[in-house]
Amino acid sequence: MDINVRKRSQVQVVQLKGQLRLGEAVDDLQRTINESMAEGDARFVVNLSEVPMIDSSGIGVLVRFLASAKKRGGSVKLVNPSNFAQKTLRLVGVLNLFEVYEDDDQAVASFN
Amino acid sequence: MSFEAGAGAADQPGEVTNSFELRLQGEVRAIAAAADSISAKLQLLQIAEEKQVEILLAVHEALANAVVHGCKNDPSKEVRCRLEQYANGHILIVITDPGSGYSPQQLPDPTGDEHIHRDHGRGIYLIRQLMDNVLFEHNGREIRMWKY
Repeated sequence: MDINVRKRSQVQVVQLKGQLRLGEAVDDLQRTINESMAEGDARFVVNLSEVPMIDSSGIGVLVRFLASAKKRGGSVKLVNPSNFAQKTLRLVGVLNLFEVYEDDDQAVASFN
Repeated sequence: MSFEAGAGAADQPGEVTNSFELRLQGEVRAIAAAADSISAKLQLLQIAEEKQVEILLAVHEALANAVVHGCKNDPSKEVRCRLEQYANGHILIVITDPGSGYSPQQLPDPTGDEHIHRDHGRGIYLIRQLMDNVLFEHNGREIRMWKY
């Protein structure tokens, strides 16, 4: 999985590309999150437009990510999840935990 | 002992027209390659794309369960995975691990208010949502998943 992080208006925008599933992908994302939070970041946007599949481990990371960000006074907002990723998040009942936006700009602006 | 979930059992699916079996070491890094092999087979069988992704995610969840819980991520242990296509088009996936088993009926509902914020415990629930019929055999060491 490719993980690209860039900062926009004090918001970390995390662009993911590939399947978010148990193993390297989930481990890499968790490491990225840990590093960013260790630097004090708490406002995140995660773009899921190029994530065709999320398994339960990937869902677990996103849910843990959201809880950690909120604990620090921030949040995690999702952008444009692929159809199957959105379906999967809905099936397990966690889609409603997140604010979902159509693009990065809207998601970043929502923090202001 | 077996447990059943989902819609009714497959009735008279006919003969097995295609089958495929693979074995993988009981470690997490073996899962992706095994799932990719199943994916290639589903494409070869010309299964509808929407069904393919649902089957593939269910396979991934079941393999992860077998490796992490059944094998305790021990590469000296082995997980077996079999795919069968029947004459009526139904797909059966059977995944077996060497673990001590568990009772899938005792797993809590991960969508309930008290569990929705947990970071684990959604795999079996997801399988049941994605597949049309799910059976657990041999005290949970074997899962049989149907897609109609």
